[in-house]
Amino acid sequence: VKAFAYVNAASQKDALAAMGTATRGKMLPIAGGMDLLGLMKDYVVQPDVLVNVKHLPSTITVPAQGLTVIGAAAKLVELVEHTALGKAYPALAAAAESVGTPQIRNAGTVGGNLMQRPRCWYFRSEDFNCLKKGGARCFAVDGENQFHAIFGDGPCHIVHPSTLAVPLIAYGGRVKVAGPQGEREIEADKFFAMPDRNMFGETVLEPNELVTGIVLPVARNTRSAMYEVKFKQSHDWPIAMAAVALRMTGDTCESARVVLGAVAPIPWRSPAAEAKLKGKKIDQAVAWEAAEAALADAKPMSGNAYKVQVAKAALRRAIMKAMA
Amino acid sequence: VAEPQVPEVRTPAAPKQHEKYPWPEHPTLVGTRMKRLDGPVKVTGAAKYAYDINRPGLLHGRILRSPHPHARVVSIDLSAAQKAPGVKAAMNVIEPGKEVMYQGDEVAAVAAATEEQARDALRLIKVQYEVLPNIATIAQAMQDGAPKIFKDGNIIEGEAQESGDLDAGFKAAAHIVEASYETQVLTHVCLETHGSVCEWQGENLTSWVSTQAVHGTREGFAEALGIPQANVRVITEYMGGGFGSKFGPDIQGIVCAKLAKQAGAAVKMMLDRKEEHLAAGNRPSSFSKIKAGVGADGMLTAFDAVSWGTGGAGVGAGFPLPYIYRFPNRRRKHRDVYTNAGQARAMRAPGHPQGCFHTEMLMDELADKVKMDPVEFRIKNLPPEAPNAMWRTYYPIAAEMFGWSRRHPTGDPSPGPIKRGMGCAANQWGGGGRGTKAHCEINADGSVVVRCGTQDIGVGTRTHVTMVAAETLGIPMEMVKAEIGDSNYPFSGGSGGSTTSPSVAPAIRVTSGKARDALFARVAPTIGVDAASLVAANGRIQSKDDASKGLSWKDACRLLGTEPVSVDGEWEAGLSASGSSGVQFAEVEVDIETGVTKVSRIVCVQDCGLILDPLTAESQCIGGMVAGVNYALFEHRLLDRNTGIMVNPNMEFYLLAGPADIPKIDVKLMNQPERGVIGIGEPPTISTAAAIANAVRNATGVTIRSLPITPDKVLTAIAEREKTGGTL
Repeated sequence: VKAFAYVNAASQKDALAAMGTATRGKMLPIAGGMDLLGLMKDYVVQPDVLVNVKHLPSTITVPAQGLTVIGAAAKLVELVEHTALGKAYPALAAAAESVGTPQIRNAGTVGGNLMQRPRCWYFRSEDFNCLKKGGARCFAVDGENQFHAIFGDGPCHIVHPSTLAVPLIAYGGRVKVAGPQGEREIEADKFFAMPDRNMFGETVLEPNELVTGIVLPVARNTRSAMYEVKFKQSHDWPIAMAAVALRMTGDTCESARVVLGAVAPIPWRSPAAEAKLKGKKIDQAVAWEAAEAALADAKPMSGNAYKVQVAKAALRRAIMKAMA
Repeated sequence: VAEPQVPEVRTPAAPKQHEKYPWPEHPTLVGTRMKRLDGPVKVTGAAKYAYDINRPGLLHGRILRSPHPHARVVSIDLSAAQKAPGVKAAMNVIEPGKEVMYQGDEVAAVAAATEEQARDALRLIKVQYEVLPNIATIAQAMQDGAPKIFKDGNIIEGEAQESGDLDAGFKAAAHIVEASYETQVLTHVCLETHGSVCEWQGENLTSWVSTQAVHGTREGFAEALGIPQANVRVITEYMGGGFGSKFGPDIQGIVCAKLAKQAGAAVKMMLDRKEEHLAAGNRPSSFSKIKAGVGADGMLTAFDAVSWGTGGAGVGAGFPLPYIYRFPNRRRKHRDVYTNAGQARAMRAPGHPQGCFHTEMLMDELADKVKMDPVEFRIKNLPPEAPNAMWRTYYPIAAEMFGWSRRHPTGDPSPGPIKRGMGCAANQWGGGGRGTKAHCEINADGSVVVRCGTQDIGVGTRTHVTMVAAETLGIPMEMVKAEIGDSNYPFSGGSGGSTTSPSVAPAIRVTSGKARDALFARVAPTIGVDAASLVAANGRIQSKDDASKGLSWKDACRLLGTEPVSVDGEWEAGLSASGSSGVQFAEVEVDIETGVTKVSRIVCVQDCGLILDPLTAESQCIGGMVAGVNYALFEHRLLDRNTGIMVNPNMEFYLLAGPADIPKIDVKLMNQPERGVIGIGEPPTISTAAAIANAVRNATGVTIRSLPITPDKVLTAIAEREKTGGTL
């Protein structure tokens, strides 16, 4: 790890003040540090300054009516253990529960989960100077791409690593952001940025801004679920995952939000699948149709065609789990 | 001429027992479920591994490694590193002008006051490389026009092994199977990485090393440093796994000693996980193209194979083929392929897991051709039964335990995406021991010290040494102190090849037996009987004819006065043997929509001669089978095909089973007390992956002839079958 200075910000205000001067990569916020320490040990990032942001809001508020708000510094384990949250947003709670290991969930935060960097093995290795690190090419294109993107057309072929982001978008959530210009909320759907928009990060966040929380709209008459396909059952990243939120009128799906994870550089919303579900009574056949539609435009790389099948299975199972 | 497929089948059923100190007919400690004596200190962290040794003024060493798989080192400039904060020593490991042959090959090294300073300093070393063409994969090495990287060529052709009449064998076949099989490169992934702490006092070196051979490592240090072995002491009180990769000081040990000398201070140099994957050994890959014939009666007739594999930069990749089953007419030609990759080392049952996988998958394909049950088919084609070849007996026992009768034919007919299947496979191993020496002292206060320069690679050797001595002396284990893991103790060989227990247990039996006899001679006059009539049992020395004539152990020892019993002894024949056999059955669940395979349970029936401690023997089996699950499904050293750089040198994308991935495991040990002690380190890991692969085939109806069995391979095989119109 390159030597760095440490700013222990006692509050959100202090943290923002400290981050106000940040330039990309030179000053970084640290909360649980679950991702950042690994990046630093592998010399993928080499910040001069770390700003402690553990004192950002960390409460989880799930009112009977109105918006649910979760502070960025809330630990993943707190989402898992929050009964009202699990009842109202089961896909989000399930996503939190499936992250990493108990140790990671005990230390890792909501903000950190959304802001974590990709797990692409070329990006993570100092030995490959890839596009995302300012290099000339994506090594995955003609290399070892079995875990890479099947959507997005590059030029960088990472998959977004956040598990929480997938149900957050399915629920129509927003990300609370604070910076020198004050606070704002960004649709979670618009928060993540494709490589052509931001090669050196995965979101629209500016270097001097912080994620302070997430906001979830009321999920009325909504059936929701997420399904993840992991090879290892202990501590593994999903090959593909899906989250769905289906707004129901009786047994008819009035509207649907469908998001796939681990298939593209950002959580991948599927309007085609949503259209297949809208106005339908949901059964196996409809779920199959939606999954076929969601993956119809997938463009697998040389070694990851199997992910198309896996993503279809994940989506079918998420839909049927929501309806169960 | 081919090697016999089962080399030791002529081992006599009941070898000649040791005349003076045979294993007891009615032991009180040997054969009981004995917990590890060092369990508590290990789980509380009190046990000191090489990693935990901190000497006064300790420095931390790091090695700069080549980022290129093949390059000529033009120049190395250490000057900036030498001036960096905390740096006390720096050196070239390779001389400019020489070539690095794989990513991770050693280039230079530093020692500094902290590990962070050492890492920072490494980044200041300026190395100029002339990057040379490299070979990342076997396919690249074998293609026409491949760059010639290695002096003797990239491919080393072996001699063909042939026996019988191949043409006649194929003529006699009613069915032929032609198929290709392959296994991947694994690394050892020792939980404690390789490394040492080195400290000089004048011309004498003390090194705390994570090694499976304290004496071999002493020899390695002395040779590389040009000092007498007498000046080197190697200590390994505890170690966190070796699996065949830790027999010597290695380059990092030699470099550590040199840095310590240069700095005039102790240096700790433990590899990190990336270095461990790149440069600390691996199990070679294996490939085969096999044509095999079977008669209508289910008897194998012929086997014709070409095989190859890579052990990396200049290391072979041999493996036995065919494995165990009798092909009366056979031919096999093997070639070693060199690549610019980390070099292979012995890894738990070298060659056997590969040979077992290729042969046992072939056996299931052949069994299907003649529509026979795979177990029945195997039994038909096994060599004759012998003490080291007990599969004819073990297959039915394991099949019964496992519930093999509930197995469906190839392809689970039940509806839904989850398909279940069963598979089996056999193993064999040599093992056996010799050469170990030991020392035993009986003190006047009744305490006993047993010293032996073996080491506990993690299997319970300390407990076994204590148990055998206490058994022989007829006293509780608490009264015996076993001292091991130090090259200043009497010689013992490396802990490898399943030789430790059969080398060490007889040596301890003989040495403590001699000590007991010496005690008898000293106390017999006081007891008033002939020394030859004395026995040691239940904490007493007494006449075997009249129990009233005797003394308690303590009273007897008190008679020693100022001159304790102090004797040396060594391994002698008649207490150990060589050659073990076993079988394993596995059940899997394959999700044919996601391609994910889960192993639900494994049954193992295994022998290892006289079982010293069923608890640690079972633990060896369980550990071996967990490693087998990893081999079957998860582990894969993956090099980027274009650059030759490893993409998964970590424990994130180099997959290893976690608690939820480990199946239910049942072990049945078959005791063969008449044979004496045989090691059990290797055999239980050999056949697990083959049994799992056969179970996947039985579940899905598609044959994945390639390890690891990833979701990708399962889904691709199923899609392939659907394309060709096949169904379950």
